[in-house]
Amino acid sequence: MSKSPNADLDFIAETLPIFVSEAQEQIESFEQLMLQLEDQPDDPELLGALFRCAHTVKGSAGVFGLDAVVAFTHHVETLLDRLREGHVALTPALGTLLLQGNDEIRALVGAATALQASEGTDRIAQREALVLRLQQASGLVAAAEPQPKADEPAALAAAGDAAAGWHVSVRFGDDTFRNGMDPGAILNYLRGIGEVRALRCNVQAVPPLDQIDPENCHLAFELELHGDADRASVESAFAFVRDDCELELTPLGDVRAGITPNSASDGAFADEQTEEVANSMGDAARALLAHLEGAAAAVPAASAGSAGAAIPARGTAASAGVAPPKPAGSDENRFIRVHADRLDAVINLLGELVIAGAGATLLARQTRQRGLLEANLQIARLIEEIRNGTLQLRMVPIGETFVRFRRVVRDTAAELGKDVALEITGAEAEMDKAVVERIADPLMHLVRNALDHGLETAADRLAAGKPAQGKLTLAARHESGAIVISIVDDGRGIQRSKVLQRAWDRGLLERGVVPPDDEVLNLIFEPGFSTAEAVTNLSGRGVGMDVVRRNIQALRGSVSLHSVEGQGSRIEIRLPLTLAIIDGFLIGVGNSRFVFPLDAVVEVIEGRDSVSRTDAQGRSVIELRGRPLPVVSLRALYALDGPEPERSSVVVLQQGSGKRFGVRVDQLLGQHQTVIKPLGRLLSSLRGMAGSSILGNGDVALIFDVAELGLLACEASKTVDIPSPARPDLINSHHQHPTQALTAEGTPL
Amino acid sequence: MVSNAIDSQLHLPQALRLPAELTIYTVGELHPQWLTWLQQQDEAPDSAARALDASAVEQADAAGVQLLLALHSALQQRGCAMQLLEPAQPLLEACAAIGLDDWATALSGPPTTHPTEMAA
Repeated sequence: MSKSPNADLDFIAETLPIFVSEAQEQIESFEQLMLQLEDQPDDPELLGALFRCAHTVKGSAGVFGLDAVVAFTHHVETLLDRLREGHVALTPALGTLLLQGNDEIRALVGAATALQASEGTDRIAQREALVLRLQQASGLVAAAEPQPKADEPAALAAAGDAAAGWHVSVRFGDDTFRNGMDPGAILNYLRGIGEVRALRCNVQAVPPLDQIDPENCHLAFELELHGDADRASVESAFAFVRDDCELELTPLGDVRAGITPNSASDGAFADEQTEEVANSMGDAARALLAHLEGAAAAVPAASAGSAGAAIPARGTAASAGVAPPKPAGSDENRFIRVHADRLDAVINLLGELVIAGAGATLLARQTRQRGLLEANLQIARLIEEIRNGTLQLRMVPIGETFVRFRRVVRDTAAELGKDVALEITGAEAEMDKAVVERIADPLMHLVRNALDHGLETAADRLAAGKPAQGKLTLAARHESGAIVISIVDDGRGIQRSKVLQRAWDRGLLERGVVPPDDEVLNLIFEPGFSTAEAVTNLSGRGVGMDVVRRNIQALRGSVSLHSVEGQGSRIEIRLPLTLAIIDGFLIGVGNSRFVFPLDAVVEVIEGRDSVSRTDAQGRSVIELRGRPLPVVSLRALYALDGPEPERSSVVVLQQGSGKRFGVRVDQLLGQHQTVIKPLGRLLSSLRGMAGSSILGNGDVALIFDVAELGLLACEASKTVDIPSPARPDLINSHHQHPTQALTAEGTPL
Repeated sequence: MVSNAIDSQLHLPQALRLPAELTIYTVGELHPQWLTWLQQQDEAPDSAARALDASAVEQADAAGVQLLLALHSALQQRGCAMQLLEPAQPLLEACAAIGLDDWATALSGPPTTHPTEMAA
């Protein structure tokens, strides 16, 4: 290698995060492919793709010298290879083992970024046990001689590489012949550096004539190399095929009687060895990479297999600014990996641009010059297009989040002894990456809830006359500028009477009060509510649903629940597509400007007199189409300066749950593209505010949090005798107002 | 089941003649030819060993030997033995390189349906 060690270290430091993120993608797709494979166990393409995932992770981990990852992934890869060649059949147990293997790779890759000091012996022993199971599943442990995991006597360990010889176990890759390599020549080379004994060709691995692809290499060998050759020189014999052959070296005389994977000392020794093997594997991979980069032209007909491993490695070099000698022509190049911060910076600037554009339009209007106005309109339209395009960059399909649940459903259902099929629809619906990331946890909770409480066991389902397999559907769809995610199960549904009883018991509702049906169900989103009769380790700790609702509301979303007893439940989460820019409705009170999210505005009515007296906080009630509507006056609520105008308007707003209330304002200033800026820490405690925005003329407008403002408005009217039965959110209120008079006068009907 | 060498000599006209070059460069075209030959063998009596004339081989590598292994395996599946007649030195060397010298020697000896049980 021509690079200095320092250059190497810099290179690794710069590109390691890229590797980790790519590896995580591979691990993610491994999991998904694995789950698909369980449905279609005979699909060779899936197996091939799985193998490539593992192979890619192993290959690039080798480049970074992540020896533990390389060593472990190798075993997963071996098992996959055995599967692919039909030596081993896929069973559910094997599927679980592979998934566990994948989890371990994920953990190891994760540990690569956190400069791990040393792992506990427990972890190492666990991994050893997993490796052993993988090897057993591959059918290699029973057949083959000692694996490199063998526990080494301490004396021999001290002797290190100066062993009396090596046990070599090698399986050449499919493309060995096509790459112009001859295993015979390699073995002859070995004969030059030591004495080859007990050479055994695994004839069984060669398929019969009617099944063989004659240009694929199926040869595998076991041999003993006697002499004083060190590990590196033995490996150098395989340098040109190292990329796709499986090579295991064990010092001779290292015959183990049995493995006790749970013994900590065994684990420690074994780990030492693993490290050693993997170290040299890492070196070999690095050497190979250098070789590939240097001699790319010399090997024009690189096989699919070796190219597959080399491309990701070169990709990392390219992203780090190291000029790659040869562009790879694969599909991956159609994607550019961009740091999220840079994207956020662009979106931030775009926000400024939208503001500046609005300012320019305002000035242009004042000049009343047609040409300028038209030019400005053109600019505004372009800005809008850029805005849409840029926001699109942040959009990712919700499916990325959904597919994670396949594993959750599979494992959780198995744990609970239930049979559940997960159906995913609308996975291609796109939404802002930030929203997708933040919705994952609430979704997880809801899915687990459905599995735990909603869906019944097979026996219960059959007794209820339903098919034994429960169905859980995760669906996403776009609906008027929002995305609606629904979680539907065909389980036992929610018993209203139970919910009601619980709400009474917990003091969420005055005993005997019966709200309308849909409101009863939504009681489960109240803090401190849980209907689980037995607290399981999955859900039902009673901290769930209110946290779920709070998290969703923090995303400016809403959640609702519908359920039919005995037939199942449907939970719908409505979320905005993006968090950065909203369509706002600009209003003015005195000299202050405020913005409501446009989708919360139902209608605007001309100033109408209250049917009740206005209290100190500016809260009153008006009559709208025969129904009372709580109205809050912003001027009074926020103690704004300026004289009361002659005419005022009421903006009718709708909260997520469908409840409506009005806000009394002075001026209606119309629709406004609003770039949301967070409130400073000083103002963040301000009740009812979600953020701020800068208007075209430089003024600051505060953006309302409609749900929070709604609570304020509703609190005002809580003692008004509303014809519909008492509402839980009103009864739960902490605020008490001297509104005796209001009650007396305010009864509207 | 063991037939003698004289018997297999009688089958010589049916013998598959291995080419001068038995390497990665020729296995692709040899494969279909050998398959055709293999299908013809289905008509011959089961107990007879199938003979390969290996005298003309001048060049051989692991890919070529692998194809021989595949042929052997296919014949075994059909319950047939395989016999290598007069294997040329380059072929024996290629076999030896990958640890199959015993196998090649066993095949060149008197044919048997179970060559693996033969002492070389």
